Amino acid sequence: MVEGILVEGLIYGILAFGVFVSFRILDFPDLTVEGSFPAGAAAGAVVASAFNLSSNAVLHGLAVPAGMLAGFVVGGIAGFATAAVYHKLRIPPLLAGIVTMTGFYSINLRILGGKPNYPLITNNPMLKLARSFLGGALPSEWSLFASCVLVCLVLFGLLDLFFHTEIGIAMGALGDNENAVIQAGIQPNRLRTWGIMLANALPGLSGAMAAAYQGFADVNLGQGVVASGLATVMLGELIIRSQFISVQLLRVLIGSILFRALMYAARSWGYVAGITPNDLRLLTALLIILSVALSRIKRKR
Amino acid sequence: MSNRFAKLLYAIGCAGILLLLSCAPKGAKVVGVAKFVSHPALDALEKGILDELSASKADYKVDLQNANADMNTAAQIAQHFKQEKVALAVGIATPMAQALANQIKDRPVIYSAVTDPVAADLVESMDKGGPNVTGTSDMTPVREQLDLLCSLKPSIKRIGNIYASGEANSVALAEIVREYCQEHGLEYVESTITNSSEARQALLSIAGRIDGLYLGNDNTVFSALSGIAEVGIDKKIPIVTADPSSAETIPVLAALGYDYYRMGLATGKIVVRILNGEKTSDIPAFLSKENEDMTFVLNLDTARKIGISVDQSIIDRAKVVISDDQLVRK
Repeated sequence: MVEGILVEGLIYGILAFGVFVSFRILDFPDLTVEGSFPAGAAAGAVVASAFNLSSNAVLHGLAVPAGMLAGFVVGGIAGFATAAVYHKLRIPPLLAGIVTMTGFYSINLRILGGKPNYPLITNNPMLKLARSFLGGALPSEWSLFASCVLVCLVLFGLLDLFFHTEIGIAMGALGDNENAVIQAGIQPNRLRTWGIMLANALPGLSGAMAAAYQGFADVNLGQGVVASGLATVMLGELIIRSQFISVQLLRVLIGSILFRALMYAARSWGYVAGITPNDLRLLTALLIILSVALSRIKRKR
Repeated sequence: MSNRFAKLLYAIGCAGILLLLSCAPKGAKVVGVAKFVSHPALDALEKGILDELSASKADYKVDLQNANADMNTAAQIAQHFKQEKVALAVGIATPMAQALANQIKDRPVIYSAVTDPVAADLVESMDKGGPNVTGTSDMTPVREQLDLLCSLKPSIKRIGNIYASGEANSVALAEIVREYCQEHGLEYVESTITNSSEARQALLSIAGRIDGLYLGNDNTVFSALSGIAEVGIDKKIPIVTADPSSAETIPVLAALGYDYYRMGLATGKIVVRILNGEKTSDIPAFLSKENEDMTFVLNLDTARKIGISVDQSIIDRAKVVISDDQLVRK
């Protein structure tokens, strides 16, 4: 069960990485995630299961990486759409995200072959691999956890490395001071486009993994993910304060696990305080408010 | 409060929560029941399951969960049931059942209100259950409903259908409606919506091209049923739906479908059989074909308003008749 929370925390932590990049690094409040997350789920599920059924041994063996890559790429495309609309038409970020998210509902239905729900219960290569990861040296739940840790570690390493490169540092500066970036001779629009693509490719990958974990991809999978991603990021910031990008990235994952644990606790023992599952969304909203309020108070000290 | 102390406090808090979570009570005799969303039909179904359980297996505690239409919590509920070591888990509605079946492999999972369990990957065929999965399908009698629509308006040439493109069940039903229309030489006109606010407009946009409207089990459409019924009366379009309970209060012409409470009782019976030691693979995916499990509601006020005279033989078949604002149960 603890392992369940950890696994969920890590899978949705990848989504929160994306929310962190858009809201914090780029200062670009991006709602595209509600479209790119289910898009990644849809593409990941369709590609992974199709590869898994393929009679070609090479394709069959590549089912898991292909599914993950498909989710990542499709998410990135969604991000590109938002960035293009934002830059070319000067539509405000929130609206640009809503436009893409709305359009992707139909695109996601297309990816899923016209059906809103795509089951993966009997044909789920990703979950199967994750459960037997390390050749069965661990019980299946912990093996699932270990594989999620591996994916998150790799992503964390790559992101950390990226944000220490020249482009990464410039991207970090973009959200705070666009002029500084321009003076450094970098085109801010192009940089922001890459950033928004990254901020949606990560949720796309997260969606592909979440679909495998849940056992289905569904067009409605995106509902409420931005709010939970934000709550995650803010919870992390409340717990650990740091200016270092490495720590900031790590605390996203920690925040995600904590957020899932809190939701789990509310679901399991909330009845003691009269909290029903109907109240969980209000709880998410209050958690965001509380995190902001507490960090304001802390900053004033 | 110093920063370091605060951090320490947080760390202890986090560890405390995790510790608390890991030593939850175990071993009690619990049945987990999870529904995807609270909704009149699903609530009635849940009540049926609970009534059957408390009648035959009163020694079991029931843990009720609700995903509130948030798909991302469905797997969390499955984890919760696993942790609780439930004797058996019941998933109401397709995504909930899928998440349970995907996560729980070592104990029985019973699904309910899943229109097509084979397409949902829950069982391989309707004839027998899976290794740990079985349940009840709520595949609505689409053909009987369309027969009813045609008999209420014999001159019908074009049948309309409105459903949400995001609901797997509705998409499956629409396919059957299309087939039926082909077989009977009728024109099929559909309009899909993505949320309830579009339903009224969807009907208005196809009203001129249809002689009758069919509505399957679609949660999104049914949320907007009163608006649709109003347009139907206004445009003199007969509407036949798959949900008898809403037809008692909303003036659609007729409704034919399952009583979800009775379906809950049927699901509860399967739960009891499994708790008594039967194997899921021996219990076929239950699909009620009994007439007594179905309810037929007929609204003669609406018929009069849209200029349809209903045959006495049809009125005799109805279990609930609404006439002069009076509801009569037979």
